[in-house]
Amino acid sequence: MEKELFSTLPVPTWRWLGVNEAYLPEELQTLPTPVRKIQIDVPAGQHVTQVIANRTEQRTEITAHVAEGGSLQLVQLQLLPSDKAGTCSVAVTAEKDAQVYYTGAEIGASRVLAQVKIDLAGDNSKADVAALYFGDGTRSIDLNYVITQTGKKTEANMQVRGALQDSAAKIFRGTLDFKAGSKGSTGREKEEVVLLNEGIRNRSVPLMLSAEEDVNGQHAVSAGRLDNSRLFYLMSRGLDEKEARKLVVGALFATVLERVPDADLREEISREVEERIEHGQR
Amino acid sequence: MEQQKTFVEDIERTLYDIRNEDHSVYKTERGLTEEIIRDISRQKKDPAWMLDFRLQSLEKYYRIPLPVWGPDISELNMDDIVTYVRPGGKMAGNWQEVPEEIKATFDRLGIPEAERTSLSGVGAQYDSEVVYHRVQKELSDQGVIYTDFETAVHEYEDIVKEYFMKLVPPKDHKFAALHGAVWSGGSFVYVPEGVHVDIPLQSYFRLNAAGAGQFEHTLIICEKNSSLHFIEGCSAPRYNVTNLHAGCVELYVKEGARLRYSTIENWSRNMMNLNTKRALVEKDGLIEWVSGSFGSHVSCLYPSSILHGENARCEFTGVTFASRGQDLDTGATVVMLAPNTSANINTRTISKSGGAATYRSAVKVTPGAKGAKCLVNCESLLLDEKSRSDTLPVMDIETDDVEIGHEAKIGRISDEAIFYLTSRGIAEEEAQAMIVRGFVEPVAKALPLEYAVEMNNLINLELVGSMG
Repeated sequence: MEKELFSTLPVPTWRWLGVNEAYLPEELQTLPTPVRKIQIDVPAGQHVTQVIANRTEQRTEITAHVAEGGSLQLVQLQLLPSDKAGTCSVAVTAEKDAQVYYTGAEIGASRVLAQVKIDLAGDNSKADVAALYFGDGTRSIDLNYVITQTGKKTEANMQVRGALQDSAAKIFRGTLDFKAGSKGSTGREKEEVVLLNEGIRNRSVPLMLSAEEDVNGQHAVSAGRLDNSRLFYLMSRGLDEKEARKLVVGALFATVLERVPDADLREEISREVEERIEHGQR
Repeated sequence: MEQQKTFVEDIERTLYDIRNEDHSVYKTERGLTEEIIRDISRQKKDPAWMLDFRLQSLEKYYRIPLPVWGPDISELNMDDIVTYVRPGGKMAGNWQEVPEEIKATFDRLGIPEAERTSLSGVGAQYDSEVVYHRVQKELSDQGVIYTDFETAVHEYEDIVKEYFMKLVPPKDHKFAALHGAVWSGGSFVYVPEGVHVDIPLQSYFRLNAAGAGQFEHTLIICEKNSSLHFIEGCSAPRYNVTNLHAGCVELYVKEGARLRYSTIENWSRNMMNLNTKRALVEKDGLIEWVSGSFGSHVSCLYPSSILHGENARCEFTGVTFASRGQDLDTGATVVMLAPNTSANINTRTISKSGGAATYRSAVKVTPGAKGAKCLVNCESLLLDEKSRSDTLPVMDIETDDVEIGHEAKIGRISDEAIFYLTSRGIAEEEAQAMIVRGFVEPVAKALPLEYAVEMNNLINLELVGSMG
């Protein structure tokens, strides 16, 4: 069967790194159920909150349009069973003065492909993206986030936090794309990854593209294991190593999780992550 | 202050743009065929293994597709490129013996002057052949070998055979295969164990003939606990046809050795600069790259460091300045294969007058590289709204015991900074130049004084006239 392309890096780079394209896993190409499609329209000046906790749908497409002065709070929590693959693509267009708050969590699925594309088309539009992922076992996580800044004085903020354990593998591509004419726009992107044991594979691809001079863009990535001194401090206070790990990963995820409006869902994700750290191979 | 509106490219390149009449004594036909390769090999009196190597590389060149990423190189038509141009005259060890016209070119570029004042050895390549080579006697007495590559193939055949295109095999990419087939000229440096070469060695590459390619090969071997600073400079006059530079640099840094490799590249703006540079660094070794990219029409240049031994280190400092008609895709790659290896990548890019600058990098940490550390810092400055600047780093980490940090910034010179400086009585043009000079300071600091001055001059000339 010919491989079906799911997403691509906006500007390709060396092939040997394997980050230019993401292809659909075979089990999703032959899925009997159709792709679930969700359309959200935020009228001018209105606010819409939509929380999607996905436990069953293997393929989801969310399209949203935020009209002038509107705001959308979209929360997408991927909680699929660990033996299933899944994809989710999100495409949002923001008009003048519109605001988009996107919160994502990639917790379940054996293999997940997620794409988030936000187009800040209108002047003064704003995107605030926060996401977390937890990879353990042989899980594979492939994320492609792109914020395109077309309007003047747009503002983009992308923060992604993750932890990898056992032999999990992850690719995070995060792109800030300042188009010509996006004068006065700013963009910030940051990915922080905690590596919990050897055997993981972490690929980070932060892109910043600019065809406009009057912009201010920054991106940063930091990847490493738990800080030994912090771990030592916690353990000297009577916590065992796993408890200490739970605390540190919990703190890392807290700023993303607190954007989830439902307390039960927050609790469910925290508990799931803690349990998986408890059952980690090392 | 009177406003200067002249386009700088036309001013600053005068020195480099003087083209001599083509007095070459031998040229291959245009294009690339087995017959041409055999012809080059005959001209160079290659040993049989080298002819075989060239022919195998040619086959690979035909087979390997063009890269799917990077700048557009579709205007490059190999059928139009002359791959081998032998200038008149023989290689000289005495400057006076170099043919007058070639000598005058290098005199204008300040090469013999630099040799007298600050270098311990110099090589000069004109088109496809090295025309001048000289090394100070103290160095040869210590066993340092610095010679043109053809001489090395004959006189040091065993060493060349052991190392030549082992680090950059022809199968690596299309232009590495091309290089393997048509290479000509370049430098061979061998620094014996424990020898420290205190004063830099320099090679200068000049491509004079129109529609030609330059494919020099540089091979440097720094044995255990030795040290060397090698400088290369490149330039060519401007023609209306495409010229191609597909050189190859292979650096072997053995245990405890240090090598600094500095490049100031100012090819003319009809040049496709598709160069491959790679270093293999053993235990406790250090490779330092200092790379200034100012010229060429299109550049793809990503010096790569393979940190093979424990504690091997890489320092990369680069500045790229893309102006009108230029698409400069530069950066670095680092592969960390051993415990406690470390890399520090620091780059600055500037784009103006419609130029496009891309920073592209890859940092790969393999499962065995426990305790690896890598810090990347890249900053990009856009000087006007016609230009473009992209940042494309990739980090691929396969162990937990690492410290990897990457930071990048993109933006313009802040109005506040210009306002502050002009309020202190500094003219706006000078204020802008001061800020750009400050911006590239990390690179300027890493260069020998004469080169830092040359780089500052290039920047000043580029900037004056861009305002108003």
